[in-house]
Amino acid sequence: MARAAKTPRRRYDPPRRGGVGKIYTSGRVDITFAGPEHRTYRVDLMIDGIEHGGPSYRGFVFLNNPGATDKTPRDLENGYAGVFDIFAHGGCMGDPGHCEVNEHKREVYDFRNPNPLTPARKRVTVTETIRELAKRQKTATVTIVPVITAMNSLCETRDVFKCEELSFVAYN
Amino acid sequence: MADNRLRYGAHNLTDPQLKDLRAAYAGQQAISDNRGYQYLAGLHGVPGFWCWHHQGNARTAKHRQLFLPWHRAYLYHFEMGLRDRVSAATLPWWDWTLRPPRQTGLPDAFAVAKVGGQPNPLASFKVNLPNTNPPVVGQTKRQPGVPGDLPTQADIDDALSRGDWIDFGMALEQLHDSVHGWVGGFMGQVPVAAFDPVFWAHHCMIDRIWWLWQVKNGNANIPADLLDIPLAPFNMKVRDVLNVTDLGYDYAAGGAKVAVGGVS
Repeated sequence: MARAAKTPRRRYDPPRRGGVGKIYTSGRVDITFAGPEHRTYRVDLMIDGIEHGGPSYRGFVFLNNPGATDKTPRDLENGYAGVFDIFAHGGCMGDPGHCEVNEHKREVYDFRNPNPLTPARKRVTVTETIRELAKRQKTATVTIVPVITAMNSLCETRDVFKCEELSFVAYN
Repeated sequence: MADNRLRYGAHNLTDPQLKDLRAAYAGQQAISDNRGYQYLAGLHGVPGFWCWHHQGNARTAKHRQLFLPWHRAYLYHFEMGLRDRVSAATLPWWDWTLRPPRQTGLPDAFAVAKVGGQPNPLASFKVNLPNTNPPVVGQTKRQPGVPGDLPTQADIDDALSRGDWIDFGMALEQLHDSVHGWVGGFMGQVPVAAFDPVFWAHHCMIDRIWWLWQVKNGNANIPADLLDIPLAPFNMKVRDVLNVTDLGYDYAAGGAKVAVGGVS
């Protein structure tokens, strides 16, 4: 009889604060929908497909400021638009395969609960910042500065912010 | 509601209420079986992993909305466990919007390390999970941020102003996530957060805000197809947790019993 592979045992160290992860900046995106000629009352930045298996972090959002860092003043002048928080898992707390989401492999008749690590969605209301920008330009970039609030040796701390899709949604 | 127990703000607890709460926590923490603190805290993350947070894709469109109902059922079970130890104990809520001098960050009740020379059961808990991978064994720790970074009343008002269930839920969950990160340490990570005793007071605040929203908006805009989803591992569905008074509790800012009889 074949013997099951031995599960590697790891050490758990208490979560602690970390530094700044890799800062993300998008390409330029059209923002004319937020211009003064439109009656937009609210604009949200939708962030879809966010990974949350690693460190927990605060994601500070800046528009049209690709040089933004964690030291950049969070004000309109510097394109600061808002913040989202990711309350994450901090690395895998299980045996190999425990944190593989595998959503695309599930059968139609699989009624078990979805994997808790199914990617997340966040919405940041950016109305004031994008309106101000749209008064003077047609495009802008989105920069996200991730500041780690809880990490340990189980998680990777550089590529902290990972998502599948970013989009603006305007309401009038 | 005369028959409902009241949940009070942690900043407003009277000495007897705080004494009951500490005794209830200590009693529950001393139990190692499935009535005890470790078992209940372990349902949220490691080793149970039953909690619902911000999953979101086409396949989990409904499940991602279980954050508020699931945690209400969870708090209910935890509070009933506390009351098995001390019948007068109720969960307090941590109002993170309070600023000095009323409160500086964590409520004092949960922040002081020792009470009467003994470890404060509201400050820390010793986790003992030697068989998980990795093993988690040791006292919970915190690394709080700057008090001014906690959510404000304006943040709550903004969430409460959102009449749509999903919009409101996302706004409230964002405040929830930010406070977990603010406390840091064990509270900052899903698998171990519930072992920190302040977890329950934080979620009590979230539950209270949801109730305030329900009082204002009712339940009509909660999608009907959510109502019969079970809130595993609890013996409840979403519809069972919509009305807190049906669960036997309500929220109060403060209060005191007035002695009747014997008045001259």
